[in-house]
Amino acid sequence: MYALEINHVTKTYSNNFKALDDVNFTLKEGDFVGLLGVNGAGKTSLISSVAGINSFHGEIKVMGHDVLSDVVNAKRNIGVVPQEIAFDPFLTVMQTLKFQSGIYGVNDNQKWLDELLERMHLQDKAHANTRSLSGGMKRRLMVAQALVHKPSLIILDEPTVGVDVEIRKNIWDFISELHQQGHTILLTTHYLEEVEKLCNRIIMIDKGKIIAQSSKDELINQAGDLPSTLELTTVNGRFVAVLSDLIIGRDGNKYILRLSGHEQIATILNALVSNNVIIENININKPKLEDIFLHYLGR
Amino acid sequence: MPFFAIIKKEVYRFSSIWVQTMVGPLSTALLYQLIFAHQLASVNTGIPGVDYATFLIPGLVIMQVLLNAFGNGSSSLIQSKYTGNIIFVLMAPVSPMSMYLAYLCASILRGVAVGLVVYLGIMWFGQIMVVHLWAVLYYAILGAAITGGLGLIAGILCEKFDQLGGFQSFVMVPLIYLSGIFFNIQHFSPIWKTLAMLDPFLYIVDGFRYGFVGQANFGVIHGAGFVLCFALAVNIVGIVLLKRGVKIKH
Repeated sequence: MYALEINHVTKTYSNNFKALDDVNFTLKEGDFVGLLGVNGAGKTSLISSVAGINSFHGEIKVMGHDVLSDVVNAKRNIGVVPQEIAFDPFLTVMQTLKFQSGIYGVNDNQKWLDELLERMHLQDKAHANTRSLSGGMKRRLMVAQALVHKPSLIILDEPTVGVDVEIRKNIWDFISELHQQGHTILLTTHYLEEVEKLCNRIIMIDKGKIIAQSSKDELINQAGDLPSTLELTTVNGRFVAVLSDLIIGRDGNKYILRLSGHEQIATILNALVSNNVIIENININKPKLEDIFLHYLGR
Repeated sequence: MPFFAIIKKEVYRFSSIWVQTMVGPLSTALLYQLIFAHQLASVNTGIPGVDYATFLIPGLVIMQVLLNAFGNGSSSLIQSKYTGNIIFVLMAPVSPMSMYLAYLCASILRGVAVGLVVYLGIMWFGQIMVVHLWAVLYYAILGAAITGGLGLIAGILCEKFDQLGGFQSFVMVPLIYLSGIFFNIQHFSPIWKTLAMLDPFLYIVDGFRYGFVGQANFGVIHGAGFVLCFALAVNIVGIVLLKRGVKIKH
């Protein structure tokens, strides 16, 4: 069974803007998938359709339950962290989590709520009114809200915007643990290094259409001509003129060379050795996710 | 259950701001009672043996029931839309019907709770006692169901607080003030009487007052049927709007 099935989903807003154009993809149970796209690409429209906030044409199933005809069972299996910060100004942090549990029909989960607060570094704010929280704290509370019912499919729409580096790492450690426990995760973020590190699959969306979907390595292979780079540090910064056309950057004694293929490495090293250039350090850099992303966007 | 979770949250919301939701209406009712009952003490109520101060008490109580039931649904929904937290209820496994009924029940609870507080606060100004408990409860609950439903409809349709204010000022207040709270409409001029008889709240006020003074201007059973039909109609419209996601879903 798929955790998420998106079949021929199209979303057109009342102003005739087509946000999603025949979108198709699936998430297997246990997947950790990054959904990438520039602002306005259709990521949030897609997530809102899955979450039941947007109307759409097509078919969406969560854990085999159709989100239109079997709404309650589909929604029980999803936990969404929305992009926009939202909170109930009348409630405290703990009341917010208890209310969230209540509307998902979950009772007697105090231990789990305490753990969520601890993992989100909000335990000392349990009885504080949500109005008194900082932006980052509110976002962490939203992550906790999405997890109160331990959903099979966790959808995170920019969950770490405004969250400082240390706590961001803790959140990702926690999300990774949930993934290891079998939860399926769909993540959108502008921190591409997070996607690169965490996700086993990447889906790219642009102008409402899926433009690529695969593992990072497969995306590199499919992209074909994406350049790798070679970092070389030489003693005294010596180099050979014959290789100067390959240089795309220099930082002191370190040269950054553009590689058109890995077979080029032997040629470069031979040229340096035959000219008595002593190499202190060498490093081959594969294309970054950012390069792959821009390649698929055609930019 | 999600239904009870929403009701519990709503009750917490309006009880946490009790100065605004309880003391405010009581204060308003006390002022009306003190000023009107004093200045209009000689007015003929049209009901033998019932003085104006006693006549006014049920009117003021049901007025606050109706206004507060309206205020609960409308303010809760529009605030949730404004702050964005309505998204959490929309994403939860709660059917639109269940969500609507939970908000409606919370509105009725607030209306009845405020009515009780106001009654206890102003009952001392007249010779008032409950004569027909069924009528008191029936008209209070169904009256709150009507204005609670109207409040939810306003909360669904309005996108700004000023739109909601307009709905309250130009629809709710005239309907409530023309419904015979302060005067027996039998004493109105023919035109105003005709207009007032088109006001559905008239039958709520008349039936509710019947529960205290034992006499009504219109048939109580006829009024009970009308109020029930009106409550059903208003809330069916509200449920359909919420189910379609009008001004809530995109």
